[in-house]
Amino acid sequence: MAQLVGVFEDPGKVAEVVGHLRGRGFEDLETYSPAPFAEVDDAVLEKPSRVRIFTLIGGLLGVVAGYAMTIWMANDWQIMLGGKPYSSIPPYTIIAFELTILFGGLLTALGLFIVGRLPRFTRDAAYSARFSAEDFGVAVRCAERDVAEVDGLMRMHGAVEVNLVAG
Amino acid sequence: MTPPPAASVAAMIRPAPIPDDSKINQDILYVMKGTSPGYWLLLSIALTFVGIGAAVWLWQIYEGLGIAGYIHPVFWGVYIVTFVFWIGIAHAGTLISAILYLFRAKWRNAINRSAEAMTVFAVMTAGLFLGIHVGRIWKAYFILPYPNQRGLWVNFKSPLLWDTVAVSTYATISIVFLYVGLIPDLAIARDRHSGWRRVLYGILALGWQGTSRNWKSHTRSVLHLSGLATPLVLSVHSVVSWDFAMTLVPGWHSTIFGPYFVAGAIFSGFAMVLTLMIPVRRIYGLENYITDYHLDNMARFLLFTSIIVGYAYVFEYFIAWYSGVEHEQTSFWMRTFGAYWFSTWVMIVCNAILPQLLWFKRLRTNVPFLFVLSVLINIGMWFERYVIIVEGLSTEHDPSAWGVYTVSWPEIGILAGSFAFFVTLFLIFLKLFPIIAIAEIKELAIHAKLHPEGGH
Repeated sequence: MAQLVGVFEDPGKVAEVVGHLRGRGFEDLETYSPAPFAEVDDAVLEKPSRVRIFTLIGGLLGVVAGYAMTIWMANDWQIMLGGKPYSSIPPYTIIAFELTILFGGLLTALGLFIVGRLPRFTRDAAYSARFSAEDFGVAVRCAERDVAEVDGLMRMHGAVEVNLVAG
Repeated sequence: MTPPPAASVAAMIRPAPIPDDSKINQDILYVMKGTSPGYWLLLSIALTFVGIGAAVWLWQIYEGLGIAGYIHPVFWGVYIVTFVFWIGIAHAGTLISAILYLFRAKWRNAINRSAEAMTVFAVMTAGLFLGIHVGRIWKAYFILPYPNQRGLWVNFKSPLLWDTVAVSTYATISIVFLYVGLIPDLAIARDRHSGWRRVLYGILALGWQGTSRNWKSHTRSVLHLSGLATPLVLSVHSVVSWDFAMTLVPGWHSTIFGPYFVAGAIFSGFAMVLTLMIPVRRIYGLENYITDYHLDNMARFLLFTSIIVGYAYVFEYFIAWYSGVEHEQTSFWMRTFGAYWFSTWVMIVCNAILPQLLWFKRLRTNVPFLFVLSVLINIGMWFERYVIIVEGLSTEHDPSAWGVYTVSWPEIGILAGSFAFFVTLFLIFLKLFPIIAIAEIKELAIHAKLHPEGGH
């Protein structure tokens, strides 16, 4: 197996080349972008990020925890305050609301780590500091006999340069 | 033609020359490089005042709250005033990051990082005052619902408990928001530093490479965090206002307190962003990033929130008169012409009258004017909380129980220490982390480079 990395300047071109490469059956590819561009990310991964499931679970956990904690604690040792019922829903809604946000936010961050595969302890061989400047990279793993085709395809779509990655 | 084997292709390709780094990276990372004597001077002044504040606090812990200016019936003074002030300052960050993000207001990109950092530091500063105000700091944890031998739980029907939950949630979510936004920029910094900084940014960047999977989950997380933080911003200062509005104290017991406090918080927060960022942009030559256009937009926000705040001031008086309740009427009369007339007029002039000058475009883009105005608004907003809290308590229902509170020197020492604490944290942040969200600026810059004819 060989790995080629093409350097691009235009995110639109990156999306095109990714589409073309995948059409030709090169599925083992990765892009590197200096900033978020939906067209690039959607070309590689079609489905919406699963982070949203984490947010939903976090929010639901929060609202349940908020009501459960307040109602249970108020009834564990009942003290009459201001003539109000022990299980007073209106004031406990404030706690439940805040915990919804708290758990939702924390699980969203957890979702970012799990779905986004972070933390990562090594850098890809194809990664370079220029992809945190203003260049885009498309790294493709292919059989050695396909190197010329992938190289030509990337240049056809406006690659500034195409390099073979060592290792 | 048969393709050559990979190894020989690799030999044919000459090693890629290291490309010139992006100008955006260079400009913004420049802020983190080196420290001038002026920076050290400012930092040492700030640290001195932090020391003074800390010493006064230790003295107060030893001596008791008696050294504060409390006098019956005013037992909420400068500490609570300053707590509310800092919580208010903290609101601009999340407003800019979350609400303007959801509204797709692209101009926020230049200021969102500094505002988010400011939010975290302001909440941290505000948090100190909960400890300072309760006096017996060693019992501060009583506010938390923890299992204990007495079998007692906290009272979740109390606004003070709501406040604890709201403010700690706000602090946590602000930190998460700031950090998540920082990850791509930390990777940029990692790739461009060596030594201890490379190690630090390498750890904090979590191996970020800007892959499609990285970015896809990142943009989705930022969207969701914004969606969660938007109602949070509106709730936090509403909950803080209920600390007052849920009581029966004249001048406090009011239904407009929620929106009134939230608008005031955003107003003061924007003023603080201007106070901090005008010198930063001047000193580090960031005029290409924080342009007059951004200042103009922030000035418009100031004007808008100033009108809401001014409207609330007028309506407080109107409702006090229209209610026919003597206690309310007296409280507002005493507020304007009684012992605290000075604070009240500072608040009205700085918050409601002077910002009206921002109707003039020439003044909205006049940087020295904006700086002075933003400082005056900060002062005015501190006095607003002073007026509401101290005056409210000083003239409650029974005239025989009235009393006049004056600020004591220890309180001023701790107040100054809190500003110094905030400034110290901001100065350290300035040298350790990118003060402008580089990746977000690049997103706009790359669009602009490829489509110079317009749009965004």
